[in-house]
Amino acid sequence: MATNMNQASVSAVVEARRAHNLKLARKADQTRVLWFPVAIMAVLLALPLLQYAGNYNYLLHLVLFTASYVAMASSWNILGGFTGYVSLGHSVFFGIGGYVAGMILTRYGISTLITAPLAGLIAAIIGYGVGMITLKVRGPSFIISSIALLMIARILFDNWQFIGGANGLTLPSNDLSVQWSKLPYYYAMLAIAAITVWSSYKIKHSKFGLGLRAIAKDEIKAESAGINTRFYKVLAFALSAFFVGMAGAIWGEYLTYLRPNIFLLIGVSANLVLMCILGGKGTIAGPIIGAILIVALNEIFVALLGASEVNILGTGVVMVLALMFFPLGIIGTLARKGKLPRLLNWD
Amino acid sequence: MAEIIQILILGLALGGVIALMGSGLSLVFGVMHIVNLAHPALIIGGAYIAFWGFRLLGIDPILMMIPSAMIMALVGVVIYKLMFEKEARSAKYSEMTVLLTFALAMIVEGLLGSLFTNTHRVTSPDYATEAFFIGNVFIPKGQLYAGVLSLTLIAGVALFLKYSRLGYAIRATTQNREAAELLGVNVNRISIISFALGLGLAGAAGALVSFVFSFFPAKHWEWIPMLMSVVVLGGMGSILGTVIGALALSVIAAFVGTWIGATWSTMTFFLALFVILLVRPQGLFGDKPEMS
Repeated sequence: MATNMNQASVSAVVEARRAHNLKLARKADQTRVLWFPVAIMAVLLALPLLQYAGNYNYLLHLVLFTASYVAMASSWNILGGFTGYVSLGHSVFFGIGGYVAGMILTRYGISTLITAPLAGLIAAIIGYGVGMITLKVRGPSFIISSIALLMIARILFDNWQFIGGANGLTLPSNDLSVQWSKLPYYYAMLAIAAITVWSSYKIKHSKFGLGLRAIAKDEIKAESAGINTRFYKVLAFALSAFFVGMAGAIWGEYLTYLRPNIFLLIGVSANLVLMCILGGKGTIAGPIIGAILIVALNEIFVALLGASEVNILGTGVVMVLALMFFPLGIIGTLARKGKLPRLLNWD
Repeated sequence: MAEIIQILILGLALGGVIALMGSGLSLVFGVMHIVNLAHPALIIGGAYIAFWGFRLLGIDPILMMIPSAMIMALVGVVIYKLMFEKEARSAKYSEMTVLLTFALAMIVEGLLGSLFTNTHRVTSPDYATEAFFIGNVFIPKGQLYAGVLSLTLIAGVALFLKYSRLGYAIRATTQNREAAELLGVNVNRISIISFALGLGLAGAAGALVSFVFSFFPAKHWEWIPMLMSVVVLGGMGSILGTVIGALALSVIAAFVGTWIGATWSTMTFFLALFVILLVRPQGLFGDKPEMS
């Protein structure tokens, strides 16, 4: 009888706490500025109409490029930001996505717009397998193993003649006019970016995301609190490979060629890390802001200075400065000071 | 049989050079727990110093070891003062330093690339293309000199660490930072000295590497996993372990390279890194359960 009483009162407490949490969540939802991302999305969706007014291909290219990095950085954030496992080898999944979809395109003529989810899935499966191995170690060891992964992939891709080796593959381009040829990839990349950001929001606010954040804080305590840390980490790795793979698929057909020295660059991975750190690791809006900033900076560097070596130098300098003086990133710093505008509070 | 001896000798000679490349990395990790991803990039910096010394002034790359090591040691002091002195007490220190040194590697690569372009370079003193012949076995002079010099230099550093007063202090800091500080070791000064020593070794290695491998600024990305595999196999922080790891892996890589194919010889190091991290993350001679 006593136990029944206890159970009843415990469940009442749990019930009350859940109701309270729901109320808080609803309140947070009400203060969230949902119209802002929706408005941005609407503007970006309408942007190609400019093509009627003149040639804005460069602008569309920039938006597409930024969207691809938004997707990848948000995706990286699931592993690097929420879970705290910094990967410097994520361009591997970019390459895998690009090559899987590109091979299907050359063999069977099915556009990557259709096969992108499949490419993402294969990237995720490979990510799951790799994660089973490399996520056994943490901290610096994991970072180094991720660089090793990238180097292994580079050698494999460079020497595998079936996928074109170091010369890569040329993909058929679509038969739209120059004015509209970017359009399918533009919308596809926007969609992928939007889905990735939305998913990372959903993940962060799920029990799964809570587990990931617990792992980032203290993995041993998380494990003793009953979280299946191994499964959580590996799943986070697979998920973060999935979206990067999808972005790679679209990017490949957009470029119309696949080459290991374009896809399997450590610079791409470095950019993802830099974007998340600069914008704010573990936040939703951080990677987006980081991506916009870094793409803009890259364009300015290239326009002013031209050489790609200077670009590498600049990326390194920005990264050192961000790490030393700005480790929480823009969103993180503003949020800590309580000055984060509601427009950017997407968490 | 002659073939096996031949491969063994080539592997050991290269292994000596790789051991020197890795020893600075190992030392720096041991004392400060900094995984210096910029180490290979700085080795390439040293190689460029030797290259220009040879090209412009005609100084033998082996002699260039000395200025190269000194310049790199100075660079090390500057880098340490600028980047790591403040970080030493932050919470996620070791992960933070990996990212910092990664960014540093990009800075070094970008600097070298914009100064010297991405052309493949190699210094070509006479001995780089000559060889000794013993029966059927040939020993390339360049690799032999580089390997022997490297191992001598490492032995010198090991003796210094073992018997000098400063060496005691460095080893004490490696073993237990707090305890060393309690016993009156100026840990910060030791950190600067060993960081400079580590990068000095990088500079010296760079001069030797300049006639053993061809190099260009972006080459260091390949060397990061290569050196890490050597250092992790030996146990981070153990210089003897690094030497043994380097010799073992480079002999295996030499066999793989001859019997399977040259591209797969670098693969040996990368795969080895994976296997070691999984099976025995503390390495052969390390006693720390994990480097975090």
